[in-house]
Order: sequence, then C-alpha cells, then structure tokens
Amino acid sequence: MVAMERRLWALPTYVLSVVLIAAACGTGGGTTAPSGGSPGGSAATGSPPASGGPKVTFRLTTWAGEDEAKELQELVLDKINAEATDFEIVHEPAPADYYTKLQTTLAGGTGADFMWLSQEYVAGYASRGALLDLTEHLAGVDNPAAKLDDYFPGVIKPAKYQDKVYGLPWISQPLVLYYNPTIFKAANVDPPDDSWDWTKFRETAVELTKDGKYGFTANGWPPIQQFIWQAGGEVITDDLASSPIDSSEAMEAVEFYKSLVWNEECCPTEETITEQGFGEMFKGGNVAMFMGGAADTFDGLDVVGASVVPKGPKNRANLSYVAVTAVNSATENPALAAKALAALTDGIHHWKIVAPRPELATAETILASIPAKWKAQKEGQVDAIVAATEEMRAFNIIPRHQEWDGLFWSEFQDLVWHGKSTPSEAAPGAREKLEALLP
Amino acid sequence: MPLQLQWYLSTLSHYVGAAIAIVALMWLTNKGLRRLGLRGDAAMGLALVVPWLLGLLIWNAGPIVASLYFSFTDYNILQAPKFVGLDNYEKLISGDPNFWPSVRLTMVYAALTVPLGLVGSVVAAIMLNQGVKGIGLWRTLYYLPAILPAFVTALLWRLMFLPTRSGLVNSATEPIWSLFGDKPPGWFLDRDMLLWGFVIMSFWGVFGANTVIVLAGLKNIPRDLYEAANVDGAGVWARVRHITLPQLSPTLFYLIVMGIIAAVQVFDQPLFIQLPAGSPTFLNVYLYGQGFQFFQMGYASAIAWFMFVVILLLTLAVFRSSAAWVYYESEARK
Repeated sequence: MVAMERRLWALPTYVLSVVLIAAACGTGGGTTAPSGGSPGGSAATGSPPASGGPKVTFRLTTWAGEDEAKELQELVLDKINAEATDFEIVHEPAPADYYTKLQTTLAGGTGADFMWLSQEYVAGYASRGALLDLTEHLAGVDNPAAKLDDYFPGVIKPAKYQDKVYGLPWISQPLVLYYNPTIFKAANVDPPDDSWDWTKFRETAVELTKDGKYGFTANGWPPIQQFIWQAGGEVITDDLASSPIDSSEAMEAVEFYKSLVWNEECCPTEETITEQGFGEMFKGGNVAMFMGGAADTFDGLDVVGASVVPKGPKNRANLSYVAVTAVNSATENPALAAKALAALTDGIHHWKIVAPRPELATAETILASIPAKWKAQKEGQVDAIVAATEEMRAFNIIPRHQEWDGLFWSEFQDLVWHGKSTPSEAAPGAREKLEALLP
Repeated sequence: MPLQLQWYLSTLSHYVGAAIAIVALMWLTNKGLRRLGLRGDAAMGLALVVPWLLGLLIWNAGPIVASLYFSFTDYNILQAPKFVGLDNYEKLISGDPNFWPSVRLTMVYAALTVPLGLVGSVVAAIMLNQGVKGIGLWRTLYYLPAILPAFVTALLWRLMFLPTRSGLVNSATEPIWSLFGDKPPGWFLDRDMLLWGFVIMSFWGVFGANTVIVLAGLKNIPRDLYEAANVDGAGVWARVRHITLPQLSPTLFYLIVMGIIAAVQVFDQPLFIQLPAGSPTFLNVYLYGQGFQFFQMGYASAIAWFMFVVILLLTLAVFRSSAAWVYYESEARK
C-alpha cells in the first residue's frame, strides 16, 4: 500500500519538478517582468518612468489579420518604439471574434490599453465607462495627430460622445463609385464623372443592363443613409434626439433607392446576388458600377475607374468608414497613454488610406501608401478618392447603435425593399421604435 | 532579453505558481482527510481528483452560479452588474416581441430533427447491419460528416440551398416544383422555408453519428434471439418490433436525450448562415446576440436559464416515459 502511494505521488512530484526547473531557468539572470504589466494582465500600470528608466509598455489590440499585423508592426510600431524613450507599444492582434474577445477581456480586467473600434462602437463603449476621456490629455500632447481641429469635421464626430473625446480616428474611407471601363466602352457609354446626379446615374445603370451584365448592384449596400443625407434628410439627428426617417427628404431618397435595389431593370436580383456574391459580381466583370470604400481593391480586373458618387437633390454626401483607436479607462498612465496614442495614430495615418486629416489626404500621400501590388489599379482612382473626402461624413452614433441598426433594417428597410410595405406606411411605426433606442 | 521571451517567462511563472498551489492543496487534502479518519486509499483518491474538482468549480460551477446571479441583474459586460430582481424574466415572458418567436422556431426545429433523425439513423443502421461488405468503410463514410467543422457544413449547405437554379437542391427538385406550377423555394432567403433548410441540414451531422451508435447497438443484440424467433416463424416486422426495437431501446433513449439537448442548443450553423432580416433566429443565437452584440448579458443569462429549464423539463419527460418503453435486461431478470 505504501509503495503504491509513493507511485501515485510520483507523477505530481515529477510535474512539479519540471515546472520548477523551467521556472528557475526562466527567472535566472535577474530577469524581471516587463514594466507595465504582463501578457493577459491588466492595462499598463505604474507611474510614468523617470528619465532613463524602463519604458512603460502599452498593449494594443486590433482585428488585424496576419498580413495587416505584419505591416502595422514593421511600418508603424517598430519606428515608434525605436523613437520613444518612455513607452513601448506591443501589438496583440485578435483577428477572429474581435469584439467578443475585447468585451470579455475588458470585463475581466485584462483588456489592452489601446483598442481599435469601428465608429459604431465608440459611443456604446464610452457610455458604459470602458473608455478613457482623452479631452484633457490630448490637449497637452505635441503631435499633429492630437490636434482635433486638423481632422475632417465629418469623421472626428464618431470619436466623441457627449462632447468628450474617446479616441483618435485612424482611417476614413469615403465611398466612391467604381466602374468597369470595359463594359462602358462596349456599350459606347461615357463613364461617370462629377456631373452625374441620381437621374443620370439610374438612366445609365438601366442602359448598361443587358446581355447578362448589370449597370449597378444594391442590396442594402450602399447604405440608404447616404442617399437620405444627399436628399437633405437624416436618420439620426446631430443632437441624437430623433430619427426622422419619415421626413419628405428621407422618403424621396428611399423611393429612389427602391428603384435600384434588386430591381432587374438596373441591378441583379436578391437571388442572383446570393448565388454569385455581391462584390464578386463586380470583380467578375458582370456589374458595371459598384459603390465601395476608397481602399477597396478588385482581384480579377486590370483596370477599374472611380468617380465621386452621384449628386443627390441637396448634396454629394458620402458615407465614410471611420475606425478609431480608443484607450482603456483602466489605464493608469493616461497622460503617457495619450502621448503614445497620438504617436500611434500619426504612424497609422502615414500607412492607411485614407488618413482622416486633410493635410495627409492628398493624391501624393495616398499613392505613397498604396501597396505595390495595387498601385496600377489605384493610380487612376486617386483623384476621385481625394475629391470624395470633401463631402464624406460618418454616421451619428448612439450607444445602442447595433440595436438601432438592426431595427432600422428589420422594421423598415427589409419591409420596403421586399415590397411588403410602402416607405410612407412603414416609416412612422419604424421611427417610433427607433426613437425608443435613442439616448 | 526580448520582450516576448520576458512575457513567456512571466506567464510560465504564473503556471508554476498555480501548479505549486494545486499540488499543495492535494497534499493538504490527503493529510486532512486522513486526520478526519478517512482510509488511506480513499483520502489518496480524493486528493488526486482535487485538480479536476478545481477545474469543475472554477470553469463550470463558477460560471453557472455567476450566470444565475447575472440573470437577476442589469449587466452590460463593461460595468458592474446592478440587481434588478425579476425584470429580465418579466421582459422575457412579456416584454420582448422577438423572444417567443425564437422559442417557437427552436422548439419546432427540435420536434422535427430529433424524431426524423432518429428514424433515419435506425433505418440506415438496420440496412448496414445486413451483412454489408466493407462495413468499416460504410461506417466511416456515415460518420465523416459528423467530424466536419460546423462552419464547413454551413458553407456547404448554404451553397446546396442557393435560391437559384445553380443551387444543387433547387436544380434537382425544379422539375417536381414545376409539376405543381411552382418555383423552387428561396430556402434561407425565405422565412417560411428556412426552418426546413436547417432541419435537412441537421441530418447531415446527426444522422451519420447516430447511425454509427445505433449500428453498435444492433451488433450487441444476441443472435440467438433472432434464431429463436425464426424457429417460432416470426416475420421481419415481428422481429423488428419484438426483438430489435426493445433491445435497441436503451440506445434510442440515449440518442433522444442527447438529441433534444443538441437541438435546443443549436448554434453553429444558424450563426454562420445569415437569415432574412426580421425573421426569428434560434434561441442560442438570440442569446448570443443579446449578450455580446447588445450588451445585455443579464438578459442573455435569463434566456440561458430559460433554456436550461426547458431542456431539463424535456429530459425529465423522456426519463419519466422511459419506464414504458425502454427495455433493460437487468431489470427484466429481477
């Protein structure tokens, strides 16, 4: 019995010995844990380092995939970390299930110091106390990316909530109208330019829809919001107090959009899009015009033209995809975090297109940022991209934006696009439900 | 020393600390139980299961108790939960117009997939049990779909159920639909047909896995029972009814219980297949959306406990009914 007991204890004893030996090897030579926390630990802690002391480590989490993470490291972070004397930024990419991971790490107190957020998440995170109010801290930072007045006015808004700043936008991609010159040439039709309005756009889309090709494609994308803005309406007002989707301006835009979406006169049906893929149809040369973000690239097409989006009754507003780097409210070095955030953001502004600052959103800087593989395709598009930045804007974001967005689709768009209701019938009821979600 | 190596070693030190704590706890458990008068081998056995018990408490029991507490709170994940009593359960019962349609979809799905899957797998297993050559190959082929990742299955079936003629299902069945002057359905684009899409898709994995289990059950039925039945002049149906099904009933009982649990908790495929806007979704997907997309973890926890109660009641019902139809040879001998 005693011998058996000894044998039973042998395994845990052996395991313990191995880990002890490994630990002894690891911590030998005076190694200490890095300042500012450990992997999976909480956000950077401790006082700012004295001159010549160890750097404070800030953790950055992003949704970057393998290639994007490599570029971020090599083109941005290595340079910042080499130049900074008081901080270091370590990248922890989480390309899959990003927001689920982010939320659970924040809830568990192990969230990174810096996090990428799409525009629709900032207000929600800020209102729930997860983000650091940077308003005061950024004022003291000497870095061009910290000067909020230097950003496009339409894209700095999503980084704010209740007049406080919770992050810095690192990208603002306006929507442009891409077109396939081959289809236009074959049909002997002039390609789009800045003289186009809604009427001209739709007429051309109808004209190009023949022989298995479609003039345009719409299935909820491009977002109806952009067309409502172009008609002078709003889906969420600037003061976040109402959702006037039943206004005459909104109705005009919805009627126009309804004449496009899944309408075989100019666009593929829902079934065809499901079968062949939305963007894939444009890449495959079966759709003449496609609205996409400025950084979109198209495999399979040698030449892709671009123009600003067609003008609406009131303006040429276009949706800008804005993403923000925000700071964890648990960071204990807020001043230094603001400084590091500005350095990081400035670095990304010189890497990603389009930078959300007019001084960097030029044809030269955009071309310099485009990877060599796509240079040829994007060269002819740069002027349109720069022109699109003039009227780009972001959504007006509320804390419950995801819910609002889901309702806007299910209670209004889905009914109207599928012909289950008319815009004027569906809008009042939908507005009431949408406004119940406003702050 | 490189930062990554420092971090690795730092993490390793945490593991070492945890390992030391666990071994110390095992030692203390062993000593403590002996002092309390427990036999040496019993104390040793309990000490050795301490790591597993710790895992159960920390990773299973802890979250279960936490989710019960969260279900009585307003918890948005990012801030501390606030106690709200039964508010989440009230909302679930009468304040959420999307909840009961999700319950209905999930229950109908379970009501269709469990019996249909079971009947199909029994029929397939009986066919495979007829001295088929290369039984190992057939068993492997039947089981293969069950080990494919859910995402792959969802992608495959989404392509099969494409609403146009290029979808394999619609392409194959179009002549039948046209006989009735109808067009093939839109499947996952059509609110009325999406349930059937998921029901058919469920057979892909469940059918194969269940067939292998039923086949194992069939192989365990003593041959002499069939020989005796043959001597008595029993026909095929009599043999199935009086020998095969009773002998197989413990296996079927197990499959029904597991099938109900799996069907009510279905998650992977509906998550990967986008459903039409406004259509109800399955309960588990609805729960996930409430918790992680809408920051309503308290409400999501209440839904989880509702699901638990539903599964518990259904399982109890199956258990209570088992006395009437499950045959245990050991009980028959009493």
